[in-house]
Amino acid sequence: MYSEVRYIEVKQSGGFMDSKIRRIYVPMTESGFYILFCLQQPQHGYGISQQVKQMTGGDLVIGAGTMYGTLSKMEKDGLIAFVREEEKRKLYQITGLGAEILSLEIRRIERLYKNSKGEKINE
Amino acid sequence: MSNRKTMIRFFTIADYEEEEIWLREQHKKGWKLMKTILPCFYIFESCAPEDVVYRLDYKNNTEDHDYLQIFHDYGWEYFNRSVGWLYFRKPVSNADTEQDSEIFSDDASRVDMVNHIVKTHMLPLLVTFFACLLPNFIRSVEGSHPFADVFTVIFSVLLLIYLYLFVHCGFKLRMLKKKYGDNR
Repeated sequence: MYSEVRYIEVKQSGGFMDSKIRRIYVPMTESGFYILFCLQQPQHGYGISQQVKQMTGGDLVIGAGTMYGTLSKMEKDGLIAFVREEEKRKLYQITGLGAEILSLEIRRIERLYKNSKGEKINE
Repeated sequence: MSNRKTMIRFFTIADYEEEEIWLREQHKKGWKLMKTILPCFYIFESCAPEDVVYRLDYKNNTEDHDYLQIFHDYGWEYFNRSVGWLYFRKPVSNADTEQDSEIFSDDASRVDMVNHIVKTHMLPLLVTFFACLLPNFIRSVEGSHPFADVFTVIFSVLLLIYLYLFVHCGFKLRMLKKKYGDNR
């Protein structure tokens, strides 16, 4: 429900901001991608890092500084929003704008993957 | 009461990696850092020798409690703050992998920290330099009152220290950014 509210806000803010945000975040760093991906569910910083560790078989450990920096930048840019606090930890969730950026990234990575396998692309 | 010692060291804003290594070595020798006073006095307390990783993060704005909470969740002990630098440490035995002993896991965030240092620490110092120190220096050189010479000497020394620090930090921070893979 929360993300729907944000989505309307973003739609009203017009297209200029979107293209700037798009330039910053597409493509994004691997850490950035996983953080945004995990925030499709409300989660806090350390929780995200544990989830990412699991998803990547322990290969990607997002450092505390990187985690905090990415979360605050994404919040400032409106990709994620603060939802509530749980046991002194801030929980974030993806916004409408964040979801748009995430799907752009997923499409880009899909194309990259297909090309790397020599598959045909039909867009 | 346990043993204490004070050491004097000066690390510039661009020498944080050296400072981390030095603090780790001290802890291995059985001296854990309690706090710093001004940027150059380090107060240690004797402890059991242990391999403990030290990490410094630069945050000019006041950090919110969530920042410290995240570091705490990751197993970092926050114990000191000095002119924008926050000091963290974690015993190596508590780190499962080498990555667990880093606070930054990609170069993008390391470059972000360097940029943050330049923007909120170095630029204000440059402004102070041109707005205060330099005009005072020129005035004291041209001045004719009895203490003009004394002031000229003081300002010359300050000017030289400032210039040295700017050149040193400027080069070092650029080098660090290059090392982190930023070629802008």
